[in-house]
Amino acid sequence: MGGIDRRRFLKRAGIAGALGGAAAVPMAGELVLAQGHKHKEAVREHGRHLAQSVTRGDHGHGMMGTVGRVDHDSNGFHPLEILTDFDGGRTSRDSSGRTVREYEFVAINKEIEVAPGIFFPAWTYNGRVPGPTIRATEGDRIRIHFTNTTDHRHTIHFHGIHPAGMDGVPGQGEVGSGETFVYDFIAEPFGTHLYHCHSMPLVQHIHRGLYGAFIVDPKKGRPPANEMVIVMNGFDTNFDGENEVYAANTIAFGYLNDPIVIERDELQRMHVINVTEFDPINSIHLHANFFNLYRTGTSLQPDEFTDVISMAQAERHMIEFTYRHEGRFMFHAHQTEFNDLGWMSLFEVVA
Amino acid sequence: MSAQAAARPARGVFVRVGVALLLIVAAAGAFKLFDEFVSLRAVPPVEELAIERVELDPDRVAMTIRNDGPDPVRVAQVLINDAYWNFEIGDPELGRLESTSITSDYPWEEGLPLGIVIVTSTGVTIEHEIAAATDTPDLGGSTFVTYALLGIYIGVIPVALGLFAFPFLQRMSRRWLGFFLALTVGLLAFLLVDTLGEGLELAGETATALDGLGLFAIGALLAIAILTTLEGRLAQGSSSTDRSEVKGLALAYLIATGIGLHNFGEGLAVGAALAVGEVALGTFLVIGFALHNTTEGLAIVAPLGRDGKRPPLVQFALLGVVAGVPTIFGAWLGGFAFAPAWATLAFGAAAGAIAQVIWTVVRSMKGDAAITRSLPATGFAVGLLVMYATGLLIA
Repeated sequence: MGGIDRRRFLKRAGIAGALGGAAAVPMAGELVLAQGHKHKEAVREHGRHLAQSVTRGDHGHGMMGTVGRVDHDSNGFHPLEILTDFDGGRTSRDSSGRTVREYEFVAINKEIEVAPGIFFPAWTYNGRVPGPTIRATEGDRIRIHFTNTTDHRHTIHFHGIHPAGMDGVPGQGEVGSGETFVYDFIAEPFGTHLYHCHSMPLVQHIHRGLYGAFIVDPKKGRPPANEMVIVMNGFDTNFDGENEVYAANTIAFGYLNDPIVIERDELQRMHVINVTEFDPINSIHLHANFFNLYRTGTSLQPDEFTDVISMAQAERHMIEFTYRHEGRFMFHAHQTEFNDLGWMSLFEVVA
Repeated sequence: MSAQAAARPARGVFVRVGVALLLIVAAAGAFKLFDEFVSLRAVPPVEELAIERVELDPDRVAMTIRNDGPDPVRVAQVLINDAYWNFEIGDPELGRLESTSITSDYPWEEGLPLGIVIVTSTGVTIEHEIAAATDTPDLGGSTFVTYALLGIYIGVIPVALGLFAFPFLQRMSRRWLGFFLALTVGLLAFLLVDTLGEGLELAGETATALDGLGLFAIGALLAIAILTTLEGRLAQGSSSTDRSEVKGLALAYLIATGIGLHNFGEGLAVGAALAVGEVALGTFLVIGFALHNTTEGLAIVAPLGRDGKRPPLVQFALLGVVAGVPTIFGAWLGGFAFAPAWATLAFGAAAGAIAQVIWTVVRSMKGDAAITRSLPATGFAVGLLVMYATGLLIA
């Protein structure tokens, strides 16, 4: 009698217990399944609409590229302006008749938007990256009043020929917070050059944005051309030793969104400067065209006729080319990973 | 008079508790208002995102992400295989624990790795790597059946096979029965360690904010509590003189429940791995699981051999169902709706159940002098070794 009761009880209790445990699970599973289903639905839903705060970045190049647009007004500089704003400084003549060009440089910390929605804490000359493009003729005197408003010590180190005291390295031209130093030297040799901060640690002082172009024209000048400056740079936004963003003049896909308009059959002269940190090499490649390569711009004769040139850091060249056909032509690094990460640009050749 | 006296202390307690609560709320409000610690919080935001689920369809990647950290996160861009790619997002601003979905039309390749990186507004990157991209199974009829079959092959059938060992056990001497009970304990001990390991690994993958370790502990402790209560009820219904012990069929059911929960976790793991293409359903896997789980069937019937009489056949069928069928549910869940948080809970429950069952079996063995006389240590060792060896086949 007790045995039959026990058997029935055990059977029921056993099943109840096991099924109780198993039942809770499908219920939870139901919830998870429903959630998974809901997510799939939501995903399909959003796939049909454009999200409110983000627009589809369609450049006619498939689905690659960043989404959205950079707010250049907030940045305080526009890639199309940086391209051509050669700064001759405040000119005057000294007693020997030499042209003197004076500049005000201020080291400022600024958060800049390097890709839509991605902000980078930059160290800048005059609130822009790259810094002002200094343009002079060989033999001019350059005088730069450099004030540092930041907490780190900074310098301006020029790639050119100058005395040791003007070299812009720690101990020779380095300024701390609130201090000023006046750089004073003769612009030589002619060519496409650059300047950058040389405080230590050097990687950070360059990577954070303290660099710019320094163009010195030969005394007799060059044939007229449409001139541009492209500074190839990169940004390690998460500070892990690798760049997450690559660019021509700071903004990822900047000239893809705002193509550079140039005229057909017009001579183009582009000063290309590499200041990319963390990667040993960068390059520039023009589509559908070849260029005359003037290595470092220090020669009046071209060194090579090619469509791609590799550059290590601080290498820079002057390239000249003419487009004979109208339309849109890409130019970009041929390290294709840089391409996919922002160093991809467009010419729009018009009649 | 006495009723009023009884009511007054009750009201007094309420008033005091109410005042205490009000004071806490006022203090919290004042803290927030005056914010004395604002200077201590002048640090960069801690940005964490958990990529909870990735669904792959032909030329389309869809993922669900959740803000896993203490500070709000704004999603800026998405990198797929080291290239910025167009995407659509529900809401790029994610507050604490908020989730959203991101879709991108990306031509991913079958079987090749897929690397997804989310870049936030501060430039922080959150990575997610899929070892071998494969089409996520849709919630459809045929895939349901496939996963159910999977559950049957690796769960139900092997356990049933193990149950067939019962006649063999019945004819065994008490000493050898002790050996097999010890083998059961060894088996279960191995399963416990295995489940603990996998569960803790899943806890690590769970969104930090959801506290994977906590979920695991909750699962384990709840399972232990439920099974202990169950065991107590079963012992009360027993007609044996010792009311605190569970024997025979009841013990078999307890073991079957513990193993069933473990098999649910196993199904979950296999289903999830299949869904992301991490494992190929080769013959090795099926054979391995079959052997692995057949020995589990043995463990379930070991206590039955002691009573001497054979329970009705329907009991064997039910034991098989309890131990094997959860594999099917696990496979379904793992294949279609896997999320580390739920899996952690499930594995926690399995671990707790197995631990409780081990304890029950050991206690039931201690009372029986004939069983513990010799061979139990060997049985324990053999149980461990058998599980390890069959485990190698499914590695």
